[in-house]
Amino acid sequence: MLLIHCPHCQEHREEEEFSYGGEAHIVRPLEPEALNDQEWGDYLFFRTNSRGIHHEMWYHSVGCRRYFNATRNTVTYEILETYKTGTQPTITGAKL
Amino acid sequence: MSSNRESPNQVRPNQERPNRLPTHTGTAIDFTFNGVALQGIAGDTLASALLANGVNVVGRSFKYGRPRGIFGHGAEEPNGIIQLGSGAGTVPNLKATQVELYQGLEASSVNGWPSVNFDVMGLVGAFGRLMPPGFYYKTFMYPKKLWMTYEHFIRKAAGLGATPVEADPDSYDKLNQHCDVLVVGAGPAGLVAAREAARTGARVIIADEQSEFGGSLLASKQSIDGLLATDWVASLATELKAYSNVQLLPRSTVFGYYDHNFLTILERRTDHLGLTSAHQVRQRIHRVRAAQVVLATGAFERPLVFAHNDIPGVMLASSVSTYVNRYGVAPGNKLVLFTTNDNAYQTALDWHQTGREVVAVIDTRADPSGDIVAAVKALGIDVIAGHGLIEAQGRKRVKRALIAPINKAGTEVSGAVRALDCDLIACSGGWSPAVHLSSHTGAKPIWDESIVGFRPGKSIQQERSAGACRGTFDLAGCLAEGASAGAVAASLSGYGEGNRQFPVCAVEEFAEQPQQALFLVPHTKSTSRAPSQFVDFQLDVSASAIELAVREGFESVEHVKRYTALGFGTDQGKLGNINGMAILANALEQSIAETGTTIFRPSYTPTTFGAIAGRDVNNLFDPERYTAMHRWHQERGAEFENVGQWKRPWFFPQQGETMQDAVNREGLAVRNSVGILDATTLGKIDIQGPDAAEFITRMYSNSYLKLAPGKCRYGVMLKEDGMIFDDGVCACLGENHYLMFTTTGGAAGVLAWLELWQQTEWPDLQVYFTSVTDHWTTATVTGPNARKVIAKVCSDIELSNENFAFMDWRDGTVAGVKARIFRISFTGELSYEVNVPAHYGRHVWEALMAAGEEFNITPYGTETMHVLRAEKGFIIVGQDTDGSMTPADMNMDWVVGKNKTFSFIGKRSLQRSDMLRQNRKQLVGLKTLQAETVLPEGAQIVFDDKQAIPMSMQGHVTSSYYSASLGHSIALAVVKGGHSRLGQIVHCPLADGRSIAAEIVSSVFYDPQGERHHV
Amino acid sequence: MSNVIKLESPLNYFHGSFNKSSAPERLFNDQIDCDLVIKEAPLSAHLNLRGNADDSHFCSAVAKVLAVALPLQPGTYQRNANTSIYWLGPSEWLIVQEGGDAAAIEARLRESLEGHISIVDVSGGQTCINLRGVAVATVLKKSSIYDFEGWAAATPNSGRVAQTPFAKASAAVSNRSDGSYDLVIRRSFADYLAQWLLDAGAEFGVRIEQG
Repeated sequence: MLLIHCPHCQEHREEEEFSYGGEAHIVRPLEPEALNDQEWGDYLFFRTNSRGIHHEMWYHSVGCRRYFNATRNTVTYEILETYKTGTQPTITGAKL
Repeated sequence: MSSNRESPNQVRPNQERPNRLPTHTGTAIDFTFNGVALQGIAGDTLASALLANGVNVVGRSFKYGRPRGIFGHGAEEPNGIIQLGSGAGTVPNLKATQVELYQGLEASSVNGWPSVNFDVMGLVGAFGRLMPPGFYYKTFMYPKKLWMTYEHFIRKAAGLGATPVEADPDSYDKLNQHCDVLVVGAGPAGLVAAREAARTGARVIIADEQSEFGGSLLASKQSIDGLLATDWVASLATELKAYSNVQLLPRSTVFGYYDHNFLTILERRTDHLGLTSAHQVRQRIHRVRAAQVVLATGAFERPLVFAHNDIPGVMLASSVSTYVNRYGVAPGNKLVLFTTNDNAYQTALDWHQTGREVVAVIDTRADPSGDIVAAVKALGIDVIAGHGLIEAQGRKRVKRALIAPINKAGTEVSGAVRALDCDLIACSGGWSPAVHLSSHTGAKPIWDESIVGFRPGKSIQQERSAGACRGTFDLAGCLAEGASAGAVAASLSGYGEGNRQFPVCAVEEFAEQPQQALFLVPHTKSTSRAPSQFVDFQLDVSASAIELAVREGFESVEHVKRYTALGFGTDQGKLGNINGMAILANALEQSIAETGTTIFRPSYTPTTFGAIAGRDVNNLFDPERYTAMHRWHQERGAEFENVGQWKRPWFFPQQGETMQDAVNREGLAVRNSVGILDATTLGKIDIQGPDAAEFITRMYSNSYLKLAPGKCRYGVMLKEDGMIFDDGVCACLGENHYLMFTTTGGAAGVLAWLELWQQTEWPDLQVYFTSVTDHWTTATVTGPNARKVIAKVCSDIELSNENFAFMDWRDGTVAGVKARIFRISFTGELSYEVNVPAHYGRHVWEALMAAGEEFNITPYGTETMHVLRAEKGFIIVGQDTDGSMTPADMNMDWVVGKNKTFSFIGKRSLQRSDMLRQNRKQLVGLKTLQAETVLPEGAQIVFDDKQAIPMSMQGHVTSSYYSASLGHSIALAVVKGGHSRLGQIVHCPLADGRSIAAEIVSSVFYDPQGERHHV
Repeated sequence: MSNVIKLESPLNYFHGSFNKSSAPERLFNDQIDCDLVIKEAPLSAHLNLRGNADDSHFCSAVAKVLAVALPLQPGTYQRNANTSIYWLGPSEWLIVQEGGDAAAIEARLRESLEGHISIVDVSGGQTCINLRGVAVATVLKKSSIYDFEGWAAATPNSGRVAQTPFAKASAAVSNRSDGSYDLVIRRSFADYLAQWLLDAGAEFGVRIEQG
């Protein structure tokens, strides 16, 4: 049971209130039709599956209904920061 | 407390309880053990009462069926595993040392069928040498089909406890707690930690698994600050109770430590009263989110591993002291104390106080010289140094101890063996910190030679250990660490100044000399030939078994654990683990640090399923969602179906009708006159904003850019992989304002899906979504007479087909209530979906029923709804699709907007090579050759049912019903390349041997031109 | 056909007729002191409001129309007489007006507000219940993982609100200055939640009242 800080509600809330949203910062190609099947498949199916620092989306589904991002250590489950959609993380794999 | 002679529970003559010390009196409590009536006194545990009554054998060992007696006094107890109570409230696998005695308690051994004093496994025990580790794997696995038979008898004979067969009459619940400082354990370190934290004003919870606070101090004769230990505990507990910011939880075991400082506590509230009452909560789980945690869980004394160390009458030294000092029970007459350390000498002093004989103290160290050793010698007690107790003798009770000189390293016997007559052996191999909870967090325990034990590893979470669980065994040290830990924890959660100087408690205690690390006591014979030297009592793992496992090639501690079952019992190796690791390390010729320990995981002690379920049982197991007409449906005798969490009417049987009768009647009523359906459960999302149309068009496969106010359009929603994930109608309510219908089960998922794309991908699109599922009640009036019914209750909408056409919606008044009516149809008939705010739902429903009376308006349920839509070939997402179906697969290319400029979600995927495959599974209709035969849903489809098994499966049936309107069965199915197979015959071979033949037909069975809903 | 239009609150049938609990003698008996009292408020106007909190015109226009400040601090509400505005999200609020007419409120707001906004009548989809009595804190702990003890006390005009799971459903829970709590719950879950609360309160004595 993780304790997650919602950057919109501005407090820590229990994991039960949230849904996991998968890897963050994946941008949808602007012209999908211009991509070949392999490129489209990469966007669609392939994720970094990081061991350690991972940026991921969470949805405060039983709360403010906002998506936001978290930087989580996938080994220790420690959440190092949460930040609003559209902003960048301050903690990245390169810094560890 | 003195016994009250007027009491009905008069204490019986003491001769019947040979081990009760005369100085210890109290209210008598009657109980039975294995059917024998016995008596204890208030304050006893079941274990202390059994010992007081001189009960030697409390169970039989798991593998060899050896007689076993009480060995410890707490959570570490491996032998006294009992079944408490009988009937519905019975609980298996409790430790007698943790069961508080109550009037009328009934307990029995879980091990030892047919009786603990004579059993069939005893015969197996005689052949114990024939059962090495892995015995069951090696012997009983072949032939495989007999394993179930073997297992049945082995389980029955070995005894794993019995689960109750009736429903549990007791009540359990959960409480979610938040605190600044959670203190685990109320021994000396925990108590002072809680006090220091409490003084800062922090919210504190202190939990201890025993019935009273004090931990080891409850059995101590030491003094603290001039008070007897038990009085000091009482004064501290009184102080804690006075704080409004402190919650005291006795009888509460912290059994799990999870991520982000989330801990679970099992509180036993009425078990000690022996009551069954639905009004009182028997057990409660506290789910605690703690800012900071202080672990003060103490330590377990380590037994010494010598030959036949499992005979009843062998106990831990601290347990003997506890029974004497706390419970007034001397569990024997003639004590031999066997120790590697100074600490255990206290037991000789305590025993001496009872007036019973201390035969000798056997000390493995060559020259024990501490203060306490001198104190024992001063009493005239024989201290035999440089010796080991190499073997206990006796069967159901210790009769003598064999002792011999051992070398300094403790590896071999170095002199003549002699026998000491005794009936009680107290042993101590030092203390093992209870690092279990710290280990739950993922912290790896660290071997420390100086304490001969594992200390907690580096903290990963917001926790710290204090006292004996950290390897600090002297009382003054425990008190100092506890105070500091409590203050630091409080300060880190924002209270107080943190670590400062604390007043030092004045404590009386003996300075101790170093202990000897000894994990296996040598015997005159080699380990493999010596009588069994038990490491894990509960699962009968001996030292020789561990050595054998190493000879057979096992090296990892985790593998050895699984092969030998070391630490697998319900005591989870609290006693045996360290000795086992050390014996393994020795056999591998490496250090204990290199060998490491197994990982401790939750639960710390077994937890009942009742407590885990809590109040989420019976009608509260899962929410049932009701529409505003729910009680009307109930009054009409509807049978209900679960759709997600909703309860929907399934069908409305009339007197004497079968389900099929009812569905036939309901369906014909809709086709021939008019029916009414509660369609409230469909998901509804209000969408507003200047970019609403653009956004919706990106989400659906078809376009909404030109949808005018007053109009509706059906669309399907795809995932980005091109697969259908929801469908429904979307209506344009006005400029920049839309209402989207979703499937009943898909409502929450669709809303999250819309939010995901708007918030994370296209935040520049100005659009807001609001769920209005619960706001609207929807009554679908459908059938050729639908318009006539609506006309009777609605006068402000021009209902003619010209003014209010198919796929239009209108605002108006229905039965005096502002309503919104949609002309959309899931039956293929003329339909009006009447929406009103839900508080008016039942009123409007009843008005529609009254208006329809002359047309015999017929309420119908989801089953008829399914039949009617299947007659029309309308799909149900999730039934006819399964997450691998595209619009083309469903023969719904018409719903894909080919000319849309924006590449809507899923569009690109529809061009992937696999989507263009000719033999994809495609939706078709099936008509059985025998009209009455209804195919089972899920039936597999083959082209040739004469082929050899396994047959080549070509598809499956997704929906199948009997259609009363058509007079034959209908089915929808997905078949490879189905769209080009119209007219072909396929077969559904069934498990019962039948094979049903059917013709592939169009999926639209009824009114293929779609004329009926346009009238 | 009767001309009377019947309005039914989600919990209308609980009052005086429900006898399924394990402690029936303590239910619906106004003579007995109950440590938990559940009271369903009279049906009110509920509107979901969306808009840009950074737009000062939007904020002041809402405040002017409703005579209540728009709460901008996360997890708070503002109240004036019979009108409350609850913060639900950074661009989302719930307006509850006792005895109000949702359509009229929507019309007045639309008149005053400009730009990208959303106003949705959700009156039929939810109901408001009040929990009072000495057992309230414990019942909340049984039902919710949220730490309500961590809240500052409410004033008559403002307090805290949290949307959070409640048993296996959800609720927007807020505090009142009298120490009681309000729950805004969804209509379809109302029966389940009422049964949950009756069960949770059984050990303390519990009854349901209609407002």
